[in-house]
Amino acid sequence: MQQRETLWEAYLRRGLSRRSFLKGCFALTAMMGLSLDKFNDVVEAASGRPLPVVIWIHGHECTGCDESFIRSASPLASDLVLNEIALEYDHLLSAACGEPFEAHLDQTIQNYYGNYILAVEGAVATKMNGAYCMSGGHTFTSLLQKAAAGAAAIIAYGSCSSYGGIQAANPNPTGSAGIEMFVGGKPVIKVPGCPPIPEVMTGVVMHVALFGNLPDLDSDGRPKQFFGNRIHDTCYRRPFFDAGLFAETFDDAGAKAGWCLYKLGCRGPETYSSCGNLRWYQGMSYPIQSGAPCIGCANAHFWDEEPFTDRLPKYGKIGDADKIGIGLGVMATAGVAAHAVASVIQRNSRDKVAEENRHDED
Amino acid sequence: MPHVVVDPITRIEGHLRVEVEINGNQVTDAISSGTAWRGLELVMKDRDPRDAWAYIQRICGVCTTAHALASVRAVEDALGIKIPKNANYIRNIMAATLTVQDHIVHFYHLHALDWVSPVEALSANPDATANLQRDLLNAYRLNFTTPTTGQTLQSMSTEAVPHDFPAATPQYFAAIQAKVRTIVESGQLGIFSAQWWDHPDYKILPPEVHLLAVAHYIEMLDKQRELVTPHVIFGGKNPHPHYVVGGMPCSISLKDGNAPVNTARLAIVDRAINMGRTLVNNYYIPDLVAIGNLYVKAGKVDGGGLAKTRVLGFGAYPIENYSGTSNGSFFSNMLIRCNGVVENFGAGVANAAFHELTADDLKAEDGFTEGVQHAWYEYPENSNPDLHPWEGITKDKFTEPKVGTETVWQQLNEQGKYSWLKTPKWKGQLCEVGPLARYIIIYTRAQKGMLPNPTWAEQMMLEQINAVSGVLGLTPEVWLPTMVGRTAARALDCQLNAEINRFFFDKLIANLKTGDTTVVDNSKWFPEVWDQKCHGVGLYEAPRGGLSHWVSIEDSKISNYQCIVPTTWNACPRDDSAGHGAFEAAMIDTAVQIPDKPIEIARVIRSFDPCMACATHMFDASGKEIAAVTTDPNFR
Repeated sequence: MQQRETLWEAYLRRGLSRRSFLKGCFALTAMMGLSLDKFNDVVEAASGRPLPVVIWIHGHECTGCDESFIRSASPLASDLVLNEIALEYDHLLSAACGEPFEAHLDQTIQNYYGNYILAVEGAVATKMNGAYCMSGGHTFTSLLQKAAAGAAAIIAYGSCSSYGGIQAANPNPTGSAGIEMFVGGKPVIKVPGCPPIPEVMTGVVMHVALFGNLPDLDSDGRPKQFFGNRIHDTCYRRPFFDAGLFAETFDDAGAKAGWCLYKLGCRGPETYSSCGNLRWYQGMSYPIQSGAPCIGCANAHFWDEEPFTDRLPKYGKIGDADKIGIGLGVMATAGVAAHAVASVIQRNSRDKVAEENRHDED
Repeated sequence: MPHVVVDPITRIEGHLRVEVEINGNQVTDAISSGTAWRGLELVMKDRDPRDAWAYIQRICGVCTTAHALASVRAVEDALGIKIPKNANYIRNIMAATLTVQDHIVHFYHLHALDWVSPVEALSANPDATANLQRDLLNAYRLNFTTPTTGQTLQSMSTEAVPHDFPAATPQYFAAIQAKVRTIVESGQLGIFSAQWWDHPDYKILPPEVHLLAVAHYIEMLDKQRELVTPHVIFGGKNPHPHYVVGGMPCSISLKDGNAPVNTARLAIVDRAINMGRTLVNNYYIPDLVAIGNLYVKAGKVDGGGLAKTRVLGFGAYPIENYSGTSNGSFFSNMLIRCNGVVENFGAGVANAAFHELTADDLKAEDGFTEGVQHAWYEYPENSNPDLHPWEGITKDKFTEPKVGTETVWQQLNEQGKYSWLKTPKWKGQLCEVGPLARYIIIYTRAQKGMLPNPTWAEQMMLEQINAVSGVLGLTPEVWLPTMVGRTAARALDCQLNAEINRFFFDKLIANLKTGDTTVVDNSKWFPEVWDQKCHGVGLYEAPRGGLSHWVSIEDSKISNYQCIVPTTWNACPRDDSAGHGAFEAAMIDTAVQIPDKPIEIARVIRSFDPCMACATHMFDASGKEIAAVTTDPNFR
């Protein structure tokens, strides 16, 4: 009987060496929180066991993250779910339903305990003991706790599972929150966005599948390779900001000319995301490129930082755009320099706040 | 008598539980329960109405765009904004794009595995499958006259030849089969795990149809992303593209160097629209007709339920920009006049009744209402049992299940409250909505002589119905109100919307040629010019059926926001006098061969393409009125 490809076979097929495979296993050992004397077990597991098993569960969500995931072009969603991972449980794509499906979940958790990737889409509803979000006759909270206990890695897909999302916006009727506090203290890879960019979503899984370790994370738990820059720092309209050229209203001459949307409320200057560099649909566009100011959907509490068309100083620390640039070379240079400083300050303070929050939670 | 629970229902959006009582093969009672609440309408309160689209779009990421579109329409109705011509065309392209992509994903990725099994595909002969593909294209590529093919409007189509034909070579099918074999024999089935693959219904189709459908499952999973690129061009991303009150944010310029939309960007939209047309014509329609035909021939003509009794539509696609919905302008300008209710279609067109829906019906206090008899809510003691959405009260009243506890459910209580969905009504009656409803309404109107001067789209719908009736050898009254008919109507709707997409793109280009590039009306952007108090309603025939958003604005803030959503119409709990909602009625109208493998129940539910997050967003944790400001249903 033909077996599914193992991690080692996948390395072979990709022309990677045994040495890099062992390095991957080493990282996997560390990722799973095992001591180094378990290293040989991990090598054995990765050589002889199937590709990464993924369990994908849904809390308070809209399925937009699932939909974004299947929009991925590289890897194609079909390659990913039929060849790169074993997606054993997912409400959107799985064939099964009802009792056999729930039994399969329990079986999968048991068979791959400590070895599967848990992907979580949606927030946890905390009020009424979790009864506001039921699935399979049980609360989502209990499902999350059960699945998290045996997970090797936990990915929070989208702003809802990362931070609580839309249902956590004021007045947060269901007491919704991000998943971090409900996974028994395990580290959570946060992939915020409403939804995140498709290739960012699949990229995180691919990273674990290819390299056998977690991607480098920032202090908030976000993969640095996808959340290391503010949109403003990578925005193709940035030169217009620096030159002081702005759209003043929707569809005015500046809007038609593709000038900076800062004065229409754009949150690019405070939002860490790959919209400016990766963009959507492999570089095709992102909201700013299509003329729509960024609403900061990868930020923790963006839903309560509105109206969206209000300019940033109300929420950020960017200064007065009217005084930046004004079309003079000297001024523009000064603007860029001041801006670069502001970036660093903002980033440092953001990291500090995140750090403090983590301590508070401890 | 077995009591069967299916929870969770998968391959849908959101959290749905159903329970059925089965006597022999007959379902004697059925429960449909939405099991999760997020409270988005409460979140809407006191927000800036110009932001409403962004919040309320997050009701659903599968029918992304649907709620944003209904929302901007509602807010513009309240503020008295008439959007520019280009914005109307672009929004129609956004809508048609959603419908085409959403229906294709539903059929291949959410619904197909109810009909098609990768296990059965293993015994297919790849040569015979290639021949079958060729035969299907010969037999079931249903072609109709459209503005593009019929030259009634000068077509701007750039397509030299259709670029997306299905492969019909044995090697291709052998490769797909080999991959499926690898997965099945590994014993680790991934997304194919734990389904009732040994159910006899999987023997209805020959192995070659299974292999062909599995191949198309994979191809459409790769292609569907390319169909939504118009959202990425005009709205910056998908899911959840951006909108703006007053038009569209995507400024158009054919002169500036860095415009959001220019000729090159329009070419991407053009390509996606052409791809949609060819995918639906070459894959979806032939596959659907082949599978549906075999099911009908096998006697599977059940699952109609409420569709036989009452269906509802709001009307679709304003051809030109219009001045409002509550003033009737929306209704006088539609490409598809499915605005109305058809009763008793199952008894034949001669016995059916058609009631046209007008702006007055939206405003009438007893026109559209919601009740909470079996929903986890309660109304005040002296209240009317059914309330207009603008007087809506949402006071939660969670009760324990019949068997189990608040947080561990064994069996819900059909005598009491059992779902977070309210029960929406039209003149006190329950209705089914969706593509099937749209087709039943247009067909009935035409047969009764109540569809004067059919538009090209309405004409195409009638031709589609005739063509399928010819293949099946059944009259529309017999095959339309069934599980197969519901699924078939969605495919026809997809084909229609692919052409509508082309139609509005051609109109957009023609208008741009005149030099008009405006996409936003800014005249009422600032709150200073708004009325201190105003109300609006936005209608949209979403992929899953008629959607209505109701907004009240006071002192520049949202004072009340209500949505009546297609899946609320279809999945709602019963009403003691009005009877069962569409899900429950369809389950009761479905025979189940093996009670502990109720694949027929899952299949008939999925034939509605449920969207539970859409249906179940209403909520109030503290038990206070959502409608904190009492609004006037009469637009005063």
